[in-house]
Amino acid sequence: MSEDIVKTRVWDWTIRAFHWLLVIFVLAMWWTAEQGYMVWHKWLGVGFLSLLTYRLAWGAIGPNTARLLPLVPRPRALVAYLKTLKPGEHKRPFGHSPLGGLAVLALLSALWAQILTGLFAVDVNGLASGWFGHLISFDMGRDLADLHETIFDVLTVLIVLHLVAITTYGLILRTNLIGPMITGVQTRRETETAGPSVQVDWRRFFAALILSGACAAAIVWLGR
Amino acid sequence: MTRISTPILGALSLLLVASCGGGEPADPNAGSEILANGMTVKAQIEARQDGYKAIGRNFKAINDELKTSAPDVTVIETALTAMLDASSGMADWYPEGTGPESGVKTEALDTIWEDPADFATKISDYEAALTGLSAAVETGDLEAIAAAAQATGPTCGACHDKFRLDD
Repeated sequence: MSEDIVKTRVWDWTIRAFHWLLVIFVLAMWWTAEQGYMVWHKWLGVGFLSLLTYRLAWGAIGPNTARLLPLVPRPRALVAYLKTLKPGEHKRPFGHSPLGGLAVLALLSALWAQILTGLFAVDVNGLASGWFGHLISFDMGRDLADLHETIFDVLTVLIVLHLVAITTYGLILRTNLIGPMITGVQTRRETETAGPSVQVDWRRFFAALILSGACAAAIVWLGR
Repeated sequence: MTRISTPILGALSLLLVASCGGGEPADPNAGSEILANGMTVKAQIEARQDGYKAIGRNFKAINDELKTSAPDVTVIETALTAMLDASSGMADWYPEGTGPESGVKTEALDTIWEDPADFATKISDYEAALTGLSAAVETGDLEAIAAAAQATGPTCGACHDKFRLDD
């Protein structure tokens, strides 16, 4: 059996760096909000937004497995994939599975909703606010702050689902999803077709990096 | 498929239900009792909520103005006057029976009536901060105004941390 298994690179290093930075940022954002360190929360939010901007840009110009548009689920492919979710029958697809792609889109959407409401949220004391809180009324800023909290709950549910899914794949479907997100490498059976290259094109990488840096700079420059 | 997806879907729906379940809805007829000051419990609770919203609105106006490149002291002065008006008599906004047990939707915690001495201290801390802010506004010195506004915010927060739900 072992001679049938070869290694193939599935996640480029920038996607992996993005993923683990995201984990750190989500924890840091939660912690600073919980502690009421709003100045830190606000500055970390800028970093968070530029991280998400990078992901969006990389989702447009990055390697195949980083692209976001192909993740929009096609119902037939999704149903076909769901039917393979049985122990011993599940074959790991190259890149995101139809279900995993759906999870990525849900998580990224919730994160964007969270960052955008945060930019305008106003705290109950009328003292701290997001970078653009001064553009809207206190009442609207408070409503957005409430929405910001609701979206956090949604995000928490999505993250728990993400962890449950990873555990289920690992324990029941015998598919290790964590390893490839660290090393970038997954094993595949020879019979499966090799996926396209996930080589990082440096010019494209810098283009995405500059765009995300520019977004951060624009917020600090235009916001208060 | 069913073997795996049924438990997964079960866990999913449990999580969703757990995340969506809010508190029980407030009784629309609650709070009709008349207080010693002649107001109903409901009217008292809503009046103080309106008061805090006016305070928040005007304090935000002050802070927004301070963040502009050329803050206008008259704008700050107007907002401060409105803030002082909205804050007057705050210590009397909490008669017995206007807490969560009234059934009216309120974020006021029972701790207000359990520790009235500390609650009163927190209100006078806030009032003292407002007096400081008024004095700074009278000098017209923007740096002093900014420092006084910075000192006022935490007196709101100190009370909210202990006596108000959430945040």
